[in-house]
Amino acid sequence: MTGNLDATFSALADPTRRAILAALANGEATVLELAEPFSMSLPAVSKHLKVLERAGLITRGRDAQRRPCRLDTGPLKEVAEFAERYREHWEASFDRLDGYLETMKKSTAKRQQIKSRAVK
Amino acid sequence: MSDNTADREIVISRLFNAPRDLVFQAFTDPKHVDHWYGPRGFTTKTVGMDVRPGGAWNYVMHHEQYGSFKNRIRYHEVARPSRLKYTHDSGVDDDPAAFEVTVTFEEVSGKTKVTMRSVFPSAEEVARVKGFGAVEGGQQTLERLAEWLAA
Repeated sequence: MTGNLDATFSALADPTRRAILAALANGEATVLELAEPFSMSLPAVSKHLKVLERAGLITRGRDAQRRPCRLDTGPLKEVAEFAERYREHWEASFDRLDGYLETMKKSTAKRQQIKSRAVK
Repeated sequence: MSDNTADREIVISRLFNAPRDLVFQAFTDPKHVDHWYGPRGFTTKTVGMDVRPGGAWNYVMHHEQYGSFKNRIRYHEVARPSRLKYTHDSGVDDDPAAFEVTVTFEEVSGKTKVTMRSVFPSAEEVARVKGFGAVEGGQQTLERLAEWLAA
């Protein structure tokens, strides 16, 4: 699975492909249904879908006429979980830093008070 | 490093209600950094910190359940109080999971905006970053996934 992460990341690097995936998060759709909101030609959408399919991000139905696209969350989960963990690390740190800066501000103010008293 | 790193970088920013000097100090003073740094459930213990180009910050992150993780940050650029550039690894040379971070501190009407831009060497290494990889991630729902993708 991790061997595919490079393909996953390069597939995700394109904003149109990310939008297609976001649309598929609401349920399966055909090429025609996907082309409409992006006002793109069918071949252009098909090209994006091929990249997504190779990256394992979508699967396509067997129905020769419609071939509906479905989101496959496996590789996405790997990427999203990593990004999420890294974000959580920093969100948690920043939350604590927010409170800790208040402590720092107070001790700085105290030091200045002592200093100005000493000068007097 | 190539200019196009969008597919393997993570950018996180936050506005702090404190002067820039103080925020910079919180990031770079061993007296302060252990008090706030680290993922939830982890404690951070600084072994040594030398914030100057070529200097390093060595620290150990500890979690009751997951154990201890060595970390090293090697500074390439130190522009007090506006910018830090460093390599983050697990304390060994040529760590394949090492990644590059740029932290900027900007003054925004009396407050300080901190932006962290982390660039990972390759997508595969992204999945293997030590320390973070050890923490069990929460189950992602499709909704959050879509949100992240749309961002």
